[in-house]
Amino acid sequence: MSVKYGILTLLYRQKNHGYELKLELESLLGIKGKINPGQIYTTLDRLIRDQFVLAAGTDDQDRKFYEITTEGKKELEIWLLEPVPYHSAKDDFHFKWSCSRTIGFEQEQKMLDQQKAMIMKDVMDLTKLKTEILLQGDESKYLLINGSLLRLEADLNWIHQVENRNRS
Amino acid sequence: MIKVRGLNKEFIQGQERTHVLKGVDLTVEEGEFVAVMGPSGSGKSTLLQLLGGLDIPTEGDIVINQNKLSIMSEKERTIFRRKYIGFIFQNYQLLPTLTVEENIAFPLHADGSLTKEKNQTILKLLDSVGLKDFGQKRVNLLSGGQQQRVAIARALVNSPSVLLADEPTGNLDRNRAEEILGLISRFNREKNQTIIMVTHDIFAAGFADRIILFKDGVIDQEASRKDEDYAKYLANFMA
Ligand SMILES: Nc1ncnc2c1ncn2[C@@H]1O[C@H](COP(=O)(O)OP(=O)(O)O)[C@@H](O)[C@H]1O
Ligand SMILES: [Mg+2]
Repeated sequence: MSVKYGILTLLYRQKNHGYELKLELESLLGIKGKINPGQIYTTLDRLIRDQFVLAAGTDDQDRKFYEITTEGKKELEIWLLEPVPYHSAKDDFHFKWSCSRTIGFEQEQKMLDQQKAMIMKDVMDLTKLKTEILLQGDESKYLLINGSLLRLEADLNWIHQVENRNRS
Repeated sequence: MIKVRGLNKEFIQGQERTHVLKGVDLTVEEGEFVAVMGPSGSGKSTLLQLLGGLDIPTEGDIVINQNKLSIMSEKERTIFRRKYIGFIFQNYQLLPTLTVEENIAFPLHADGSLTKEKNQTILKLLDSVGLKDFGQKRVNLLSGGQQQRVAIARALVNSPSVLLADEPTGNLDRNRAEEILGLISRFNREKNQTIIMVTHDIFAAGFADRIILFKDGVIDQEASRKDEDYAKYLANFMA
């Protein structure tokens, strides 16, 4: 799960300090939460270096404020619109979608559409792989691929549910 | 090649109008295997019926192998269908009291009697769907998977260039379904048959080269499988 994009998501809404960011990020990640503060600060340093975030003064308790830049917003939006392949280790579509909801992303439908197309591509590639593996007689790989296909089916159904609720 | 332009279909029953297809545009190349997915009631079966000339659109054009369906008479459409189209349905639609061979031969009687050559074709088909020794059996004695294989053989007996399949594995368990899809995709590869298959099952759709997602009577999304991408995929999976 990406701390980087989680922070950009939260700063997209409003400027904030590091400790608040840690708490909100944990809530954004839900049950997958628990982040060590060090991770937050090294990520913030890197975001500042890359000019996606600015240090924006301090509050009355002398805590540092962080603020997203225009470049940072762009960086987040580009990431939101990148569909996630099923074998991606660094991204998770559900997390991405939570980020988009958090900022009220106006291109959510486009995001969902692209993800649907990605799922269908994954399904076709996995099925091709599956038939080749079956010819080689590798039973356990065959079953693992079927597991992935079932997950993709669930993902597609979930997107349909999101769309149905968005419409009503 | 199949070209569909601005396809609309409205069912009118008394006062009630159901607008099912709302402007479908679709091009399918010769030899392509396309799966159509989408929620039930979204118009998938209706699209297949129109493509096979079993019903006529309210608006729009269908051109299959240079034949424009909308300008044909009903009789011409029937002839067109026999020549170019094979149908496979979810519930097989076989004649239960006839034998396997008689069912497969059924479309042939329509345009003349059985010749020796045609008998050869039937035997070959029986072999290719794995039912070599079942020719004389009555179909109602066969299992679902076997009946669907008979239905596939029947759909192929005229060597149609286009195979239309509506939920062909809907009544089968996953293993049987996989066998049937293996068969269908083999005919697609070996005979360059164009296939349009409606399915709600991702396991079935995966066998296609292209998946089209249908929603509310229009094409919502589509994706194609590309060999270059597949190579990358393979590398990723094996890593
Ligand atoms: N012959 C018909 N007369 C009236 N309505 C029909 C007829 N055929 C289909 N419909 C209606 O058209 C809609 C789409 O049906 P269909 O094409 O079977 O959808 P799908 O195959 O995607 O489940 C449904 O609402 C169905 O009730
Ligand atoms: Mg249907």
